[in-house]
Amino acid sequence: MHTSPAGLTNTLRIARQQLGAVREDGAVVFLLALVAALGLVAALGARHQEAEESGQRARYQAMVDRQWVEQPERHPHRVIHYGFLVFREQAPLEFFDPGVSDYTGTSIFLEGHRQNTANFGEARHATGLSRFGRLTPASVLALLLPLLVVAAGFAAVSREREGGTLGVLLTAGATPTQLLAGKVLATGAVGALATLPVALAIAAFIWPGLDSPASGVRLGALAAIYGVYLAGWVLLTVLVSAVRTSSRSALAQLLALWVVICIAAPRMAASVAGALHPLPSRAELTAQVEEALNQAGDSHRPDDPFFRSLRDEYLERYDVTTVEDLPMNWRGVVSYEAEAVTSQIFEDHRQELVAGHLRQNRVMAWSGLLSPYLAARDLSMGVAGSGPGAMEAFLAEAETHRYTIIQRLNELHMHEIRYEENDRSQRLRPQHWAEFPVFGTEPPPLGGVLTDRSVSLAALGLWIGLPLAGLGFARRRLSRVGAGRSG
Amino acid sequence: MRAWTRLLALDLKRLTRSAGTAAAVILLLVLGTYGAWRARQNVEAAEASRAAAETAYNDQLDFLLSVYPPTTEAGEVLYYLAFPASQPRPPVAALARGRAAVETENLRIRLLALEGQLYEHETVNPRLAAAGTLDLAFLLIALLPLFIIAVSYDLVSGEREGGTWNLVRLFAPPRRLLAAKLASRAILVGAVAAFVMAAGAVMAGIGLDGRAGWMFALVALNTVFWFAVCLAVAEGRQSSVAGAMILAGIWVVLTILAPAALSLANAVLHPVPEALELTVHQRQGYHEAWDLPPSATMESFYRDYPEWSDQDVPEDVFTWGWYYAMNHRGDQAAREASRAYRDTLRQREAWARRWSLFAPPLAAQLALDRLAGTDLAARLETQDAVRRFHERLKAHFFPDFFAATPIDAVAWDEVPVFEPVTPAESPARAGFPAAIALILGSGLALGVGARRAGA
Repeated sequence: MHTSPAGLTNTLRIARQQLGAVREDGAVVFLLALVAALGLVAALGARHQEAEESGQRARYQAMVDRQWVEQPERHPHRVIHYGFLVFREQAPLEFFDPGVSDYTGTSIFLEGHRQNTANFGEARHATGLSRFGRLTPASVLALLLPLLVVAAGFAAVSREREGGTLGVLLTAGATPTQLLAGKVLATGAVGALATLPVALAIAAFIWPGLDSPASGVRLGALAAIYGVYLAGWVLLTVLVSAVRTSSRSALAQLLALWVVICIAAPRMAASVAGALHPLPSRAELTAQVEEALNQAGDSHRPDDPFFRSLRDEYLERYDVTTVEDLPMNWRGVVSYEAEAVTSQIFEDHRQELVAGHLRQNRVMAWSGLLSPYLAARDLSMGVAGSGPGAMEAFLAEAETHRYTIIQRLNELHMHEIRYEENDRSQRLRPQHWAEFPVFGTEPPPLGGVLTDRSVSLAALGLWIGLPLAGLGFARRRLSRVGAGRSG
Repeated sequence: MRAWTRLLALDLKRLTRSAGTAAAVILLLVLGTYGAWRARQNVEAAEASRAAAETAYNDQLDFLLSVYPPTTEAGEVLYYLAFPASQPRPPVAALARGRAAVETENLRIRLLALEGQLYEHETVNPRLAAAGTLDLAFLLIALLPLFIIAVSYDLVSGEREGGTWNLVRLFAPPRRLLAAKLASRAILVGAVAAFVMAAGAVMAGIGLDGRAGWMFALVALNTVFWFAVCLAVAEGRQSSVAGAMILAGIWVVLTILAPAALSLANAVLHPVPEALELTVHQRQGYHEAWDLPPSATMESFYRDYPEWSDQDVPEDVFTWGWYYAMNHRGDQAAREASRAYRDTLRQREAWARRWSLFAPPLAAQLALDRLAGTDLAARLETQDAVRRFHERLKAHFFPDFFAATPIDAVAWDEVPVFEPVTPAESPARAGFPAAIALILGSGLALGVGARRAGA
């Protein structure tokens, strides 16, 4: 690389000249304005939706919490069935990249004896329009901005060649490196300009929350991810422009690459992942769970073998002859043990599903090597805290929370309710309801998010490395042009 | 005539000899074959899932009847029994997946409060769902036009820039040349589209009924629409490069920006707070009942079912009639929110359909989902059918609850079965607006093209 002041001046001169050419191109200026405006609309829209949703969530959470605490005197087992609703807290940068959150529920109803699925993700209320993707700041940057970069740079070198000015430039003192660097700089500048409104909007939205160091770092990481991703597009665009003979074929090739990388490959990858690692359908999964539950036994059935042996075990342990003599309420014990058994069954099947998701997600991650769009989105949603990991974490924490609370209620049943033929008429004072822990989730830590995504990081590295290597090759070819002219 | 066919044959040869075109054709054929294979898999998966729901019901019933003493009250066993409500999609659903990956076709319904059971979804991996679906509908409506653009963006400008335009004009009128070039491209694109559709139809076992006919017609009209757009741009005097940019821009606007912007506007205009509300209300409505005297619950139950108001439900002992009436109370409490939720979804659906008409390919895509029964409206229709099924189950079993019928006296063979809905809309009504939008759009594009050519 030439770092001499003269080299730098030449590079900047070429960049300025290229920017001048771009400015005269009405289509590019129009596209620039369009992308910038879309970014702004996306940011405002996402922000509006987020504010609305988190407001709703807060309202319902408060309502549900109040209903919980204001329960009248109740038998603890009644409360186990009463259950409670928990909500996933939105990650601070989720409005920037909603990731998979549209397809996962934001709330989950927790109750005894069963594990519910999270429900009411935005996709459930969406029309067929949403299959083309949502307009979010992330999709503007990852999907649309590359098109602007292509429009601004496809002719960067090829037009000079077509106009016969390439030889002139190269013999007039500019080296091929300076030429390519100048073109890259100018094309990158156009792309950077388009990100400005989005960046400003995000900074303005996130400002009050920036005092938490985590979101500052996350913001920086996002900037780096999209910076590298777009730099790859800039390098690729200038490279194709430098090696193709005509602007026309350069444009056609770049547009084809964009379609393959940003439109076809992600969908193809998802389809292949689903074909390679099919998941059991909901109907099949429920049937399996039902079967397992039937085999495990049911505490409500008087002569169930599992609970008969459990009774013998307890009688022996406490050295008594009837359940009435146990130091705790036998009904509570049964309920406690039954919950342990059924929860394990539900959890095993859920884990199986999660394992299936992980297998599919690995296919997606490796596909990032073919489609940097996938790699960038993978990293982006991870950093934003809206990736699959964050959603799985929510479900896992909800299940832990559910189990803790249900078993605490069962303990109340064991120790606060006297054993009798029908103990349902005994009730606990409402003070007990205030003594339960509250639910809360945290997005996964940034470090873990990135180490889990080494394939995507490598893919982005390749995405910038390969065009750079290609530009080295193009530079050598251009230097032959320069030598040919001067010789 | 001979000259014309020679011109056509010549151009077709020229077209297929280009490496880029050949690569694109191969890519499309591979994607089409793959999509058809996936369609077949989807059909098989749907069948397996349906069978699983049916078997699970029979197994569960056998199991319950074998472990519970015959004198057990029906109400106790029915707490565990889930009835299959399978709404099979038409065969064409394999081609236009719509929401098929997210929604299950095989709900299983217990006699408990219904609202909590209606919104169960498929075991979809959110990461895959977020990436988008590659079904044949997407291939034909969204990707095929890119191929049309790729072979047509330099229809006239290519000849002009290559210096052949004036030369060829000496021997053939420009109109005829243009027609020949268009015809050769239409043959190529039509062959690719026909292959993809035929492959999909054969693999997914689709017979040519009204639905399939309308779907194929919409794909054909969408292809015509894009040719019209390409022609309109080609008639101008811009360079090939500018033509390519304009066409790519139109594609991006119609295929990505319009739906994304409409979705965003739709979500902002029609928010759905009711979704959470109905969960909260149902839970509250049911559980409050435990703390109320049974007569209070029964009173509100009789308001919906006056035919049972002569039943005598004791105040001081547990009865299954009271238990399931409490569950009904949960649904009653959620009724307002549930209705508001459905209304909002219907508004969203209607709004999307109306505004998509301004972007004809989008209207075509929505119409394909409609024809395939994989759209939101189909989901809502299914939910209504499940509601009716739940009512029929209640009508069948409530007399048993009130009479404390033991399980060996229940007529298990006469239990109502789910009746799938046939779509309220005829295929013609579902496809017509989009077809008109595509025809008007094509006409508009040709008109613009004619003006540009004249200018």
